[in-house]
Amino acid sequence: MIASGAEDRALRGRTGKTMNEANQTSTPISTVATHGGLSMPAPLPSLTAIHWIAWFSFREMVRRRWIFSLGLINLLPVLVVGAIRIWFPDEGITAQHQLSSLSHEVFTTFLIPVIAMAAGVSAIGGPIEEGTIVYPWTRPIRRRSIYLGRLLAAQSVTWLLLSLSLVLCFLVMVSEGLQIINWEFLQLYFQTFLIIGIGAFTYAAIFAAMGTYFKKPVLPAILFAFGWENLVANIPARIQEWSLRFHLQNLVDRPDVDTTDLPGIIGALLATALKRDPVPKYQSIAVLLVVMAVATVVGIWLLKNKEIEK
Amino acid sequence: MMGAGVEVSAARITADRVGKWFGEVIAVNNCSLSVGTGVVGLLGANGAGKSTLFKMLAGLIEPSHGSVSVFGGKLREEVGWYRRVGFCPESDALPDWMTGREFLTLNLRLMGLPGREINQRVGHWLERFELTDAAGRRLGGYSKGMRQKLKLAQALAHDPDVIFLDEPLNGMDPVSRKHSIDLVRELGETGRTVMVSSHILPEVESMTGEIILIDRGKVLAEGAVTEIRDKIPEHPTTVALNSSHPRELAGFLIGREHVVSVEVDDQGRVVVRTDHAVGFYRALPGWVLQNDLSVEEILTLDDSLEAVFQYLTQH
Repeated sequence: MIASGAEDRALRGRTGKTMNEANQTSTPISTVATHGGLSMPAPLPSLTAIHWIAWFSFREMVRRRWIFSLGLINLLPVLVVGAIRIWFPDEGITAQHQLSSLSHEVFTTFLIPVIAMAAGVSAIGGPIEEGTIVYPWTRPIRRRSIYLGRLLAAQSVTWLLLSLSLVLCFLVMVSEGLQIINWEFLQLYFQTFLIIGIGAFTYAAIFAAMGTYFKKPVLPAILFAFGWENLVANIPARIQEWSLRFHLQNLVDRPDVDTTDLPGIIGALLATALKRDPVPKYQSIAVLLVVMAVATVVGIWLLKNKEIEK
Repeated sequence: MMGAGVEVSAARITADRVGKWFGEVIAVNNCSLSVGTGVVGLLGANGAGKSTLFKMLAGLIEPSHGSVSVFGGKLREEVGWYRRVGFCPESDALPDWMTGREFLTLNLRLMGLPGREINQRVGHWLERFELTDAAGRRLGGYSKGMRQKLKLAQALAHDPDVIFLDEPLNGMDPVSRKHSIDLVRELGETGRTVMVSSHILPEVESMTGEIILIDRGKVLAEGAVTEIRDKIPEHPTTVALNSSHPRELAGFLIGREHVVSVEVDDQGRVVVRTDHAVGFYRALPGWVLQNDLSVEEILTLDDSLEAVFQYLTQH
């Protein structure tokens, strides 16, 4: 839309350029549909939109206040490894055993859900609650691109934070001497990165969907992470397969469990549960990927129907 | 195709019997409107439903019933139209960690513009709103007025044809306010459709004579202020006539057609209340000529938005 001469002069700012000159669109906009003779411009390509939203969201998330608290919580495995290194150097606790135990008992049961919760519930819920989502919302971007961009940023932040913890653990372990580095250790170490990755991505996808649906998502998220997951993962027999924790732990080579010391009927039940043959690893990976995909699709649907009231 | 109340076929923005409930609260009730090019003021008191109507038109919320369209399409579903739409929200929320330049750049990137053009536009709009010096500062440190200007800049930087400005002058200093009012008028004169909401009557009046009046979720009137004013026969218009013989003039006008009451005020003006302004204005020259009356100046005392607003909302 070009202004007439007089109007054009009126629009000149101190730059010496008119609004129209500054706004001259050099890129032709493709169109996909027509309305009463007018053509609807095409939305921004999804990959471009996801890329920019993810990049800016990532930068936003790493500046949030909770990132510092999460960083401190993340030091927990490092402290454990450090304590073993200082106080039990000759107990025969191998680096592989330490790593396996950390994955099984610290990362999968606590750290992954906590960090994924902090990043996930605020991924979409945060900008909706603050009102800043109105800016990407009023751009020619498909809602799924907004959702996927924000989710990808939250998943990446979660994974990076957890990976940082794992790297620090490695540094403390190798301070004992480079002899701990062998093929089995490296295999386990990189396997742990992948397990943390798939856990971070799956949990964050669930928490992001919760953040999109609930106005106050923290309580339902806590109930899920430490109620449902704790309860179901400890129920004997196949019911525990209904928890994400079970499948994540199934991917880790479990430390040996001596069930003979467990008391009474609870001991018997737990012994049954713990002795149960694990499901195939590919099955656990498939379950986690399907849960992630379903949570993402549900989250996109929720966002698409979301009312931006602020 | 100017302003509010245009033919639906010529309208860029339409709402057809649109309503919105929040629980049991009716925010907008059965509103219909059509807006063509130019500036149109959406006028109403706080809580009248302006922002809700804006959000429905701009695709942020779904109407409970009825339909809205921009360029004939539904923004909520056909997001491509946002390339031609600018929206300045009422909310003060901005990503405080970003700098002003980054914020504008991101919003233009999401419009799909190439990098060089983005830099050019960002520079232009920062300068236009006198934000160049603050461009590298984080938005968390911006004053209310600066934030408002940046919100306006992001709504305009991609050169949209339809622009929604929800209370755009909130928190601005008088100079910025004047610049922004001039800018809105310019946008309207260059063929864009600008819908601007406000609860401050002189603000809207300074930007446009085309208004949509909304109260308690209902559109009371749409069109030119003067036209709307004339559609209110049950509410008298007040006209002041300066005359060298005010008492003689007042005596003549008593009981005439369209005249409700006549009095001479303390400034010596003849103040006439008429129930039909157009009819009164048409008849007056004839009365003056035929009866050799003295009328030196005609002033319409309450043809302002405030008067119209008060009449229509009975506030």
